[in-house]
Amino acid sequence: MEDLTNIPQFTIQLFGINLVFNVQTIIMSWIVMASLIVFGILATRKLGFLPNPFQVVAEFLVSGFYGLTRDALDEEMAKKYFPLICGLFMFLLLSNWLGIIPKLSEPTKDLNTTLGFGVMGFFIAHHAGIKTKGFKKYLNEYFQPIFFMAPLNVIGELAKVVSISFRLYGNILGGSIIILIVSHLVYGLVLPPVLIGFFGLFVGSIQAFVFTMLTVVYISVQVK
Amino acid sequence: MDFDAPTTVKLASYVGAGFCIGLGAIGAALGEGYTAGLANEGNSHDPKRSGEIVKNMLVGQAVAESAGIFSLVIAILLLFVNPGAAGMVKAAAVFAAGLCMGSGAIGSGIGSGYPGGEACLGISRQPAVSGRLTTNMLIGSAVCQTPAIFAMVVALMLMFLDFGKAAVSPTWAALIGAGFSTGMAAIGSGIGGGMAAGASCEGVARNPETVGQVTTTMLVGQAVSQTPSIFGLLVSFILMFKAFPETTSLAPAMALLGAGLSMGFGGIGPGIGNGMTAEGAVRWIARNIEATGTLTRTMLVGQAVSQSTAIYAMVISLVLIFVV
Repeated sequence: MEDLTNIPQFTIQLFGINLVFNVQTIIMSWIVMASLIVFGILATRKLGFLPNPFQVVAEFLVSGFYGLTRDALDEEMAKKYFPLICGLFMFLLLSNWLGIIPKLSEPTKDLNTTLGFGVMGFFIAHHAGIKTKGFKKYLNEYFQPIFFMAPLNVIGELAKVVSISFRLYGNILGGSIIILIVSHLVYGLVLPPVLIGFFGLFVGSIQAFVFTMLTVVYISVQVK
Repeated sequence: MDFDAPTTVKLASYVGAGFCIGLGAIGAALGEGYTAGLANEGNSHDPKRSGEIVKNMLVGQAVAESAGIFSLVIAILLLFVNPGAAGMVKAAAVFAAGLCMGSGAIGSGIGSGYPGGEACLGISRQPAVSGRLTTNMLIGSAVCQTPAIFAMVVALMLMFLDFGKAAVSPTWAALIGAGFSTGMAAIGSGIGGGMAAGASCEGVARNPETVGQVTTTMLVGQAVSQTPSIFGLLVSFILMFKAFPETTSLAPAMALLGAGLSMGFGGIGPGIGNGMTAEGAVRWIARNIEATGTLTRTMLVGQAVSQSTAIYAMVISLVLIFVV
């Protein structure tokens, strides 16, 4: 039971600062990235009128997410942000699914991964907001409805980062803890595959989608 | 009567187990009852479909039950698994674990009853789309379980983390506060997420063509409704992992307990309120799909405003933890 929250770490000293690396998380995200690159190569290597299976999946993802991004942003913005959105979804989906393979674990089980994506989404959304509305109008939004609401508006914006990243982290960590404990209680009989199907595949897909959609929505709220 | 440390821990686990399954049984039972009630209504509309409706009802109830099953698992662990270290801090931790899981299961149980019921009613109205309705129901009620999963994570951490090095005096209050914070805040979020999911099942039954937009808006609405419970989780994590200096006076301990209570109670209202907003938006997107953009934006702005009270509660919690 002790391995629940234990993440293998590796520390190096640099100019008197301790740099801590979560080794497992890094390796697992590299595995995810490598698989995505391989998938990309396989999907685009022989583009044809009669597509190969990888191309079908890729076309499905691309057309689906292009539609979703276009609905939330306008046509021009969608072209710019859609590759990011689709890439984010594919990375998160594969990350959440990685735990179903024995010996591998989800990189999203580490708060640092999800917080990283949350902060990334935050900066992208605010950058988009400043760029489309101009800095003055962007700043002005914080003083709505009255000027002294500004601190609370800032906290509200920061709370978005907390909520989006903790939602993914909590769900994935919770799922894997539940699988671990139930497997421990029933000695690995019958129930764990069902739970892995539910938490790993089903909840993992939904949470990846929710995270991606919220990033789109945060951008669209800033832009409009 | 004298209590030594292991007896106190045992005692606290038993009381915690009682709270855990006792409170945890409330929500699941209510949600399942609601599902079955609407399934009856659906059966009376279209008795020929009763087989399909009853099947859907059972699937929906099984998902609604899962919050209750989480409580059962935690209660069994509290009764039979030795928590290792013994001491006043551990006793507080196991009690808080039971409290957290018990109250955390209430909202998710009630909430995941709504989509089940609406899907049963929807099948009687639109038998042709029963597959889509069941899928939509499953997605909606699986997302409703998130607050209960958060409560379970906190409960397991409280049970199995080693608090041996922590100072007894303020830590016991911090841990009980951590239990309250996630547990209570999960109530509102669970119910709110369920309201949005219920409205989406109703909407899909009314206008099956809108299923893509309705499900997407439902997921965004539910995600925002869960924000109070995520704030609760954050406050719990701070209370569990921050080291507090040893003190003999009672004031710092009460401040930490108060921090948990503030976030816990403060999360109930915003969770339900956000759910109501999402419910309205999802319901009307199904009736007027052209207005999706406006409706979604209004929903997000409305939710942000109703969220602000949860942010007030979080600010007060953080002030109590870091300043007082």
